[in-house]
Order: sequence, then C-alpha cells, then structure tokens
Amino acid sequence: MDILDLARLQFTVTTGLHWLFVIFSLGLAPLVAVLHTLAVRSRDPETRARRLRMTRFWGQLYVINYAVGLVTGLVMEFQLGLSWSGFTKFAGNVIGAPLALEALVAFFAESTFLGLWIFGWGRLRPGLHAALIWLVTLTAYASAYWILVVNAFMQMPAGLEVRDGVARLADAGALLGSPNAILALIHVSSAALLAGGLFMAGVSAYRLRRATTEPAGFRFSLRLGTAVAAVAVIPTAVVGNLQFPLMIDKQPMKVLLFTHVPTGELQARLAARYGPGDYVPPYWAELGEETMLYLGYVLGLFSLCALLLVFRDLLVRHRAVAVVAVLAAGNSMGEFAGGLVFGAPGPHRLEVYLACNVLAAALLLYRPRSERALAAALVAAAPLPFVAALAGWVMREVGRQPWLVYGHLKVEDGLSPVTWGTMLASTVTFIGVLAVLAVADWILILRFARREPAEAHLGAVAAEPRHEPERDKLTLETL
Amino acid sequence: MNLADLWLALLGFLLAGYFVLGGADYGVQMLAGNGRARLLGGLGPFYFGNEVWLVGALAVLIGAFPRLEGSLLPGFAPLFVPLVAALALGKAGVQLRGRAAGGAGRRFWTVCVVAGGVIPAAAFGMIFGLLLTGLPLRADGGFDLGWAMVAGPFVLACGLALTAVFAAHGLMFARLRVPGRAPARPGPVLAVAAVAVAGAALLGVGTARPTQPGAAVALAAAMVAVLGAAWWAARRGRAGWAFAATGVAAALPVVLLGAATHPYVLLGAGGTGMTVAEGAADEASLAVLSAFGLVVLPLVLAVQAWTWWRFRRPAEGPAYL
Repeated sequence: MDILDLARLQFTVTTGLHWLFVIFSLGLAPLVAVLHTLAVRSRDPETRARRLRMTRFWGQLYVINYAVGLVTGLVMEFQLGLSWSGFTKFAGNVIGAPLALEALVAFFAESTFLGLWIFGWGRLRPGLHAALIWLVTLTAYASAYWILVVNAFMQMPAGLEVRDGVARLADAGALLGSPNAILALIHVSSAALLAGGLFMAGVSAYRLRRATTEPAGFRFSLRLGTAVAAVAVIPTAVVGNLQFPLMIDKQPMKVLLFTHVPTGELQARLAARYGPGDYVPPYWAELGEETMLYLGYVLGLFSLCALLLVFRDLLVRHRAVAVVAVLAAGNSMGEFAGGLVFGAPGPHRLEVYLACNVLAAALLLYRPRSERALAAALVAAAPLPFVAALAGWVMREVGRQPWLVYGHLKVEDGLSPVTWGTMLASTVTFIGVLAVLAVADWILILRFARREPAEAHLGAVAAEPRHEPERDKLTLETL
Repeated sequence: MNLADLWLALLGFLLAGYFVLGGADYGVQMLAGNGRARLLGGLGPFYFGNEVWLVGALAVLIGAFPRLEGSLLPGFAPLFVPLVAALALGKAGVQLRGRAAGGAGRRFWTVCVVAGGVIPAAAFGMIFGLLLTGLPLRADGGFDLGWAMVAGPFVLACGLALTAVFAAHGLMFARLRVPGRAPARPGPVLAVAAVAVAGAALLGVGTARPTQPGAAVALAAAMVAVLGAAWWAARRGRAGWAFAATGVAAALPVVLLGAATHPYVLLGAGGTGMTVAEGAADEASLAVLSAFGLVVLPLVLAVQAWTWWRFRRPAEGPAYL
C-alpha cells in the first residue's frame, strides 16, 4: 500500500464509522424531542411520568451514541489537515468558511445544549429543559447542512474561481445554495428519520415480545417509530431520485457507470480535457448504488406494510380513514414494488399498483396470523437503513473518483506531504482507536436497549430539588 | 487592524479558552485514576461544552488560516496523531465509564480517561515547545520533524510543564466542584508545576530562539507567579481564587506563544517565518466567515456563560459522569 492508499483507507473507515453515528443522531434526536415535549405537556401525572421515563430511555441511547459520534467527528476534523492538506491548501478559501461554521455554529452549540440537557433533569424548568433537546436537534441538522455544503462543493463545485492554482470564493450564494447540497440534506435527513424510526420500532417490538414493566410506553414508541419511518421513506426515495438529473448534467461518468452504458468514449474525452488518467470510478461505486436502491425498495414496502399493521386496530374502527390509508400506502408501495421487481418503477405500473392496493387492503381486513412475525421483521429491519446509508455514501463518494474536487483537484493531489511511516502510524492508530470505541459503544447501546426505562442512568438524579431554595446564598462564597 | 489580525486574535482566544476549560478536564482526568473516578462527577455539564473550544479553534485555523493549517497539521503529525487518539479515548471514556456494567469495563474506560488527560496535555506542551524553538521550514511552508527535535530537553520540559500546570488546574477545579472528594493537599502538585515551568524557561533561554525573548521570559515568570498565588489562595481556603489563578496559568502559554513569536504565526529556523498575512485566507472568505462567525460566537458564549452560572454550585449526590 502506498501513502495514497493508506490515506484513503483511513478516511474511508473513519468517515464510514462517523456516518453511522451521524445517521443515528439525526434520526433519533427529533424523536426524543417529540417524546420529551409530549411528556412535559401531558397533565395526567401518571402519563407524564411514563412519558418522561420513555424520554430518558431513548435519550440514554442517543447520549451513548453521541459520546463516540462526537470523537469520530473530532478525528475527522484533524484528519483533514493531517492527511489532506493539499485539499485545504487548494480549497481552504472556499470550504474553510462552511467548515468553520459547522464547528462554531453547530458543533459548539450542539454539545453545550446537550450537556445542559443531560444535567438539566430535575434542575431546570420542564419547558426550558424540553426546549434544550429541540435546540440539540436543530443544531445537529444545521451541522449536517454546513458539512453537506462542503461535500456538495467536492461533488459539483460552484461559486469558485481558480487563480494561481488556488480556489477562491467568487459567489457565496452559489456555494451556500448549491442544489446538490440542498437535495442531499433533504435526502439524508429523511433517510436518517427512516433509520431512527425503524430503530425505535425495532427495539420497541423486541421489548414488547418480552416481559417489560412499560408495555404502554413501548407500544407508543412502536407507533411513533413506525409512523415516522413510513412517512420519511417517501421523501427519501423522491429526493433521492431528484439527484439524478443533476448528476447527468455534472457527473455524467457516474451515470454511465450506474446505467451500464460503455464509458470508453467519455473516458477518451475526459483524458483529452484533463490529461491522461483513469476517469472511470471503481466498479464498487455501482455496488453501493444497487445495494442502496434495493434496500430502499424493500424498506419502503416494509415500512408501509408495518404502518398498516401497527395501526390496524385504530384504522379498522374508522372506515373513511382506513380507505385513505390503504390508498395512500398502497399507491406508494406500488412505486417501491415496481423498483424491486423490475429494477426501476416503470413497466406494468397499473398492474403493480393494483396488486399493492389489494395487498394493503388485505393487510387491514385479514389479521395476520402471527404478531411474532411482525415483531421479528421489525427487529430484523432495524439495521437495514444503516446499511443502505453506508451503501449510498459509497455510491456518492466512490462515484466521485478520481476527483477530490470534481474537475479541479484529483484525490492524489490532495495528499499531505507526509512520510509513508507517519501515514501508516496514523492509519493504524485512528482505525484501531475508532473501531474499538465504536464496537464498545454499540455494545453499550444494545445493553441499555434491554434495560427497563426506569433504569436509565440519564435523568436518574431527578429526585434532587428542582429549584434551590436559598437563591442568594452563594455556595461559592469563596469567589 | 485588518480581518486577518482579528481572526488571529479570535484563534488565540479560542485556544486560550480551551486551555483554561479543557485543561481543567485534562487535570481532573489525570487525577481520576487510583480509585478516584468519582472526581469525574464534578465535570458536570461544562464537560460537553469544553472540548468544542478546541474544535472551534481548529475550525478557525482551517477557515481563516488554511495555509498555516496546511503546514502545521501534517508537520506536527507525529504529535497530533497520539494527541487526537488519546483525546478520543478520554472523551468517550469520561462519558461511558459510568455506563460500564462490570469491573473490567470500568478499568478499561478508566485507563482511557487517564491517558486522555496526560497524553494531550504533554503533546500540546511539546508542540508549543517546538513552535518556540523554530522549525526547519521548507519553501512550501511545510517542515519535517526529526526525532532529535521532538526529544530535545526544552521540548520535553515544555510537555512536562504543561501537563503539570493542567494537573494543578484540574485539582483546583475538583476542590471547587467536588470538595469532599478532591485530594486535600494542593501544595505538591502546584510546586511541581511551578518548578517545571521555571525549568522549561531556563532550558528555553539556552535553546529557543523566539523573536521576542524578553516577552517570553516575562510571561514564563508570570506563570510561576500565578501558580504561587494559587498556592497562597488555596492555603487560605479561597478555592475560587485558587482556581482562577491556575486558570490564568493555563491560558498564559497561548499568550506567551503569540507574544514570543510576533510578528510570525509560524517561526522558522533563521529568525524569520510565516507572517499572519501569508497564513491567512483571502479577504473575501474572511468576510463570509466574519458575517456568520462574529454574530454567532457571542451567542454561543452567552449560552456557555449561562451554563456556568446555572451550575455554579458544587456537584453533590450521584452525577451522570
């Protein structure tokens, strides 16, 4: 392995791990915020206490995930300078500002708010406390926007002019409003909500199959998670597709690869324009694309079926609502089923749609034999959105090869001037440390997912008095 | 004062802020071995806000000084790699140690916590020592660190001095936040810190070639003086003043580095180096950065200040960390 391979391996593994933590964070934070808000707004003390316990349960999983998600982000930020200073030297003028704002606006604020939320149990006014988790959510999504501005710049550079071999910011609006960034943000946000929803539904289904002290709490979580997943899967697919026209325009090589059109002619044209070199991305970019698409179709079908089954009791009592639900779910399912069967939702659309509507109606009319099967399927589906997200990321970033900044800077020219030994040491160290932390973290998440909500460490000090009785007596009288 | 100078001042402010806040964390982490892990309970909600001062400083480095960053990070890779790895382990360890179920898990995370305090502190000290010594800059602004440079007596002394200063600062923080659990006698740690700083300064007079040696010596003397003041305050039971004094001692290295190498941001071997303008981004990029950053930063600071005020009382009872 040469320096370039090592640097790429290091970036792939650390970014891939970071990406999984990000998806979990973006997906679960809004759900925790919804639960917390419902809890503080409920008047019945028993409901309120139950909802607070559920908030602590899901919040605990979120916080454990955040602990390692944060440090993977820290490593990424250093790595950019350690391994890829050619990139920051070329593009620093343009991407430096969004990167800095990602850290200042989002990272900075998000961590501060999360610290307050973790330590605010029993110490802050309930409304303010619930507002904090919304601020955590908001800053997490702001963070995603800024980092996607940088990524969109690498994919489809806009708003720059190159003078003396260095990119300079020419049009801040074009950089910040890049359609690639906006579409990717919507696609990634909805995919994260799909992942968060299915994770919540999967864990709840698992807990409901076993004895739990919180059946009502987990039933509510199951419904919330399933509903969010079924709603989120639709923009995930729609906005995912909206990215293809942009790609045809700006990254035709990616499209040729994904549609199995011979790339020879375009390769010759690119070589004539940018100099000799291989401009065809590795074949596994396409592997990522196929994996993501098929998992997307499966998850789309599954989430919508699960929605009908989980809400079956409610729907059968209101005939009009049930008809609307069957039509909405059935027709959306048609799109996913077409993709699953024919590779793209095109041929035999009428027949596929009809079959899906019949299937949707049948799910409501005939009670499926086994609730156990539904629970098992929900548990099995929970990791799939994460696999799909990784595959989608492989498609997007491997498909960008050999470019670091499309059409401007090749990956090999972004490398830092470091020795092979230094790069090997940093690669082994970072991959080793992050892999150990990630596995330890996932074990902890699974372990806490099997605990009862009342046993969560988060908010366990809530028994302390909410307001200090003696306001003016400083305990730090020494200051 | 142009935009580049303003952002350099901001970079210094963020880094100094990080040394004061993150330095206390490192110190508490160093002390948390040997069955004293309950000290971590005092880190409170602040812990989450502290590390991001480093991220903020790094972000300003990338955003406002991409060329300086392009030289600094690859050049210091042999020190930054262990620093960042230990930082990651420590940061995760502090949050996850309490979640571990068994003794083995707790021991693993405790090792992470302590290593995550000692290694970053020592590495930052050594980086500061090398920056004061002057680096063999190439024409493209990069440089290669030889082992002889990294293992030089002055550089090692700087690593030791910063570690000791952070340990003293963490001790004062623990005495303030968890008075019942902190070690009772602050004298030995403060004495080691003062001697280490004085020793590094003496070695530096022989080895380092800063552009402003007078300022460097004066500020090193000021560090020893505030450490003495911390000891004096701690003896009189003024835990708050003692913490403030070690906080000044933790921030002074950043001031010292900036003052001693003025007007350069990266000191070369022959008494010259990379100036502020050479390291900074274009005016247009700085303007975009300023438009957002200088509005947002005060807001973030206000939230953090509110956090400190709201949780100013000593932490009692079981804590999340």
